[in-house]
Amino acid sequence: MQKPTWKSTLKGYLYLLPALLILIVFSIYPIIKSFLMSFYTDYDFFNDTVNAYGFENFTKLFQDPNFITALKNTGIFVIGVVPLSIIISLAIAVLLNSKIKLSGFFRTIYFLPFVTSVVAVAIVWSWIFHSDYGLLNYALGLFGIDPINWLTNPTYAMPALIILSIWKGLGFNIIIFLAGLQNIGNQYYLAAKVDGASAWYRFKHITLPLLSPTMFFVSIISIINAFKVFDEIFALFNGRPGPANSALTVVYYVYQKFYEEWEFGLASAAAFVLFIIIFLFTIIQLIVGKKFVHYN
Amino acid sequence: MKKVIAVLSLFLVLFLAACNNSSGANANGDSDANGPVEIEFWHAMSGPHEEAIKKFADDFNSAHEDITIKPVNQGSYDDLQQKIMAAAKAGNLPDMAQATTNVIPEYIDNKFITSLNDFIEDPEIGLSEDELNDYIEVFRDSSTWDDTYYSLPFSKSTRVLYYNQTLLEENGLEVPKTWDELQEVAKTVTKDGVVGMGFENSYEAEFQGILKQMGGTYMDEETGEPQFASKEGQEAMTFIKDMIDDGIARTAGEDEYMSNPFGRGDVAMYIGSSAGIPHVDGAMEDGIEWSTAPIPTLDGQAATTFAGNDVVIFNQSEEAEQKAAWEFMKYLTSPEVTSEWSMLSGYLPIRQSALDTEEYQTFLEENPAYKAGTEQFDAGFFIARVPGGDAVRNIVLEEMDYILQGMKSVEEGLTEAQDRAKAELQ
Repeated sequence: MQKPTWKSTLKGYLYLLPALLILIVFSIYPIIKSFLMSFYTDYDFFNDTVNAYGFENFTKLFQDPNFITALKNTGIFVIGVVPLSIIISLAIAVLLNSKIKLSGFFRTIYFLPFVTSVVAVAIVWSWIFHSDYGLLNYALGLFGIDPINWLTNPTYAMPALIILSIWKGLGFNIIIFLAGLQNIGNQYYLAAKVDGASAWYRFKHITLPLLSPTMFFVSIISIINAFKVFDEIFALFNGRPGPANSALTVVYYVYQKFYEEWEFGLASAAAFVLFIIIFLFTIIQLIVGKKFVHYN
Repeated sequence: MKKVIAVLSLFLVLFLAACNNSSGANANGDSDANGPVEIEFWHAMSGPHEEAIKKFADDFNSAHEDITIKPVNQGSYDDLQQKIMAAAKAGNLPDMAQATTNVIPEYIDNKFITSLNDFIEDPEIGLSEDELNDYIEVFRDSSTWDDTYYSLPFSKSTRVLYYNQTLLEENGLEVPKTWDELQEVAKTVTKDGVVGMGFENSYEAEFQGILKQMGGTYMDEETGEPQFASKEGQEAMTFIKDMIDDGIARTAGEDEYMSNPFGRGDVAMYIGSSAGIPHVDGAMEDGIEWSTAPIPTLDGQAATTFAGNDVVIFNQSEEAEQKAAWEFMKYLTSPEVTSEWSMLSGYLPIRQSALDTEEYQTFLEENPAYKAGTEQFDAGFFIARVPGGDAVRNIVLEEMDYILQGMKSVEEGLTEAQDRAKAELQ
């Protein structure tokens, strides 16, 4: 290690400058600005004049039954998507990692949904979910299950959204897990085999612990992404937050308030509350993660 | 090393130059001293409608050497509205745009729209009294706020009843003229996977129409006070809900627009916008005859909402540009263009003289589906236009959804919608 000098520091910053500039303009400035905006109570948005600041937006927010619904729905979505998505993608990654024929082909197949545009994906799924003409109800019909109104019944709208989101996110998680799996040295497995450990035992005591850094990364990214869900809802339910607000999430709420109703202060306050929630969750994960993650 | 730094600084310079450039483009459409004035016109028309607009712009451009109109399709009405909001904030507004009537109060409130009175009253480039009176009254009214014109009507539609003629004939039924008849017809044809009647997903227009027919008021235009939770309002909502609960009516639901199930023959009748005619035409399966009729009456009362878009001029452009935009606005709303527009799009002609031309009348004879819309001018009304109207619409649609899903009673839902709307408008 060289000792940092003024010259080397300056040089380092120069390298960082292009990325920093973009980050500051497109991420950091908007974050600060929207934080400030959440305290605007009397303002002219278009001329940038603010007459009064206060906490009114936050009190209004928590009195709005729709925001409470949005918080609840977002919670259900995160719980519904993240664990299932991780379990399924881990299982598929382990299968793909074993020596099977055409594994490269399957890797591509699983990654396809991730690189396809959300809107295209959601349109295809809205056909699959269609109550009269959809494939899913046809398939369920083969087992004697009555057609379900996936997209128009408030009870089933959220499950439909969760199914779509899990499917869409699999590819990314699988690729990350595969990379993690390939980093685990074969010598551990060989040693375990010599000792007569079963496949399940090897998975539990070698794969899982050594995969924990990857698992940690995937779960943080997945939770953050799940909290921010918006595009899928917008496209799947044709620009409405599901029947009877059953798929209204916090980001959708922000969108409604900001773009449709021009409630700029309220929208910023909601965005800020979401930021705090995600921040807390990430901190909890970091603390919990320290206990379970092994870096070898 | 030096090379790398040189490349990096070059990048930086380019980046700053790009930033600088985009702020320099602020006064968009500004032109060389000698070249033509370039006018950007943002709209939300796609498909056949967009083709028509392009044609109008081309015709106008070749007739006016000093003006170039550049129509820009911005996606859906919502997209257009959102882009206008962002552009207004950035000081980057186009010279003119299409705008839904119920968002114009926001533009007025935030002072980025040009009042048209000076243009209209101008002896040289204005409109004569006869010309102004030629604009159909209900549209003139919906373009003025406190006696000031902020827009001119452009793409105006009304609600019409679409019906599957083949299916009605098979059952020996007449096209319903009243809601009672409509219910009878719907009951008779609802079988074998066919549903009698359909409503669009945002069927608040039908609710408003029936409410008016029952003698109620949706929102007071003077005070802007929502009054739809009245006894009449509850009856109107119950009327729609009962038909859906009985299975003789449905909403578009997952099909997005009613034209899809109607085109497949899954729905025998539905109420939708007259501007949907070209879309229905495209969605129709072979062998199904269809047409449109005026909205059914209730106890002899006819009433239906008029909706649609106006054209507006923004005040962030220079005066010469606003003037040029005004010229194009006059052109778009001229009798010749509005009748051609109507024939291509299903929107209503907005000038009386356009309706009366022989060409238009012949067109109606040949295309009877376009007729119902023009027959309803006397029954037409528009909903109070107040700032926050879009938010109220969101609230009403949401509570109606709760009512239809059985999560709230009609009374609960409407009362809550009215209370929330009142709070929103304060």
